[in-house]
Amino acid sequence: MPQTFVIVGASLAGGGAAATLREEGFDGRVILIGAEPQPPYERPPLSKEYLRRESSFEQALSQPLDFYAENGIETRFGVRVTRVDAAEKVVELDHGERVAYDKLLVATGGRNRRIPIPGIELGGIYGLRTVADSDRIRAEIAPARKAVVVGMGFIGSEVAASLRQSGVEVTVVDRNTVPLRRVLGEEVGRVVADVHRDFGTELIFEDRVAAFEGAGRVERVTTQGGRRIECDFAVVGLGTEPVTDLLAGTGAKIDNGVVVDEFCQTNVEGIYAAGDVANHYHPVFERHIRVEHWQNALKQGPAAARSMLGSDEPYGEIPWFWSDQYEHNLQYAGFHTEWDELVVRGSTAERSFVAFYRKGGRVLAAVAINRGRDLRRSIPLIKAQEEIEAAKICDPDVDLRTLAGAPSLR
Amino acid sequence: MAEFVAVSGAGDLEEGEMQAFDVRGTKIAVANVGGTLHAFGDTCTHMACSLAGGDLEGTTVICPCHGSEFDVTSGAVLQGPARKPVETYETRIEGDSLEVEG
Repeated sequence: MPQTFVIVGASLAGGGAAATLREEGFDGRVILIGAEPQPPYERPPLSKEYLRRESSFEQALSQPLDFYAENGIETRFGVRVTRVDAAEKVVELDHGERVAYDKLLVATGGRNRRIPIPGIELGGIYGLRTVADSDRIRAEIAPARKAVVVGMGFIGSEVAASLRQSGVEVTVVDRNTVPLRRVLGEEVGRVVADVHRDFGTELIFEDRVAAFEGAGRVERVTTQGGRRIECDFAVVGLGTEPVTDLLAGTGAKIDNGVVVDEFCQTNVEGIYAAGDVANHYHPVFERHIRVEHWQNALKQGPAAARSMLGSDEPYGEIPWFWSDQYEHNLQYAGFHTEWDELVVRGSTAERSFVAFYRKGGRVLAAVAINRGRDLRRSIPLIKAQEEIEAAKICDPDVDLRTLAGAPSLR
Repeated sequence: MAEFVAVSGAGDLEEGEMQAFDVRGTKIAVANVGGTLHAFGDTCTHMACSLAGGDLEGTTVICPCHGSEFDVTSGAVLQGPARKPVETYETRIEGDSLEVEG
């Protein structure tokens, strides 16, 4: 009797897992189920080149359209899984169908957090997660139109940049003192803020939206600090939350996403999770981390698929992502929530630097602006988890590759 | 018939190094892998970053901006986000200088 592996989430992680099952020679049934009508695609362009109409949706597809049929992967797109019955080993779809599985991968990703701000139900207010969201924002873009972007995390920052580059007049409202403060801190956040100001984006910090106002459609945004900002549309980027509802009642541990071990396996036999939804035990950082970025989805989905096939190799990729804003390339590697020292190599004033987040002399993470090569060379330092002299890290004459034991960058 | 164009300075590249050159208006990167020079399109097919500004590991060049990886011997994509390969160019040594098909 051939086995059936069901993957919920036709995402980068889910689609990659399906492809990996076939590459690794799995000859049972593979069923890929996704809530969005499209086959798996990459989301990074949605806030950048796709939003600016510089690239097409086809370019964002993870695989050619005929890939799934050619590889014997059964697909159900535009269908939501409402419930997993772990006792019966069945998933229930929103139109009532029940699909039996032998092993299940949950790659449902995240959904935009809904913040109960008065007027948020008005027309012309968008979140950004899917290509449909990006299309709705695209339709609003025209030179000299006015937009308010709420929240200056990565999505808010990238959308603000893309709108501005498309000629839209942009005002951003963020409750922090600088953009990306929670992740990058004050010093690096200031550099990002200055980049946005240089392009004529108005930044309002330490303030929150009080209400969206308008007759049917948003016409202005008012803030708790008393600002009234006229606008034609608004984009809200206040973070996401993992989509875990389908696992309610299965006994699978849910805590900041689906809790999995280093092999992407949950505490329920036969159920795995990968991508944005997975709170994964990372063998390098020796703690659970949940990563909402492209590279994690790209690599963790296949890793989970290999675990489903019996591999005992833990997933230990160092998280890494980029964020392009205007002509600047920002990259981050590692994982940190707190640090006791920020060590900078290069120049923040010249917007060419790597900043290292250190704790107890160890590099937990690094962020680079326009220094991609140095950033990649920092990854072994993060992996090594060794104490490294700050003076050496900052010395432009020291090749970062010589500072950690492992010579390879991967 | 492919025409070859002299690339001044490319012969001085040390092993494991690479550099971009302007060859008749096209940015071409030359990498020295174990003493053999490989020439390939310097412009990443993803977002147009200069590949020579990235890292060379064996025969793999890694884009500094978004981590796309290409095989310098064939131009093939080894790792996204890039989808399209880069061009590769024939090289030959004439006297003391390197010439690249241009």
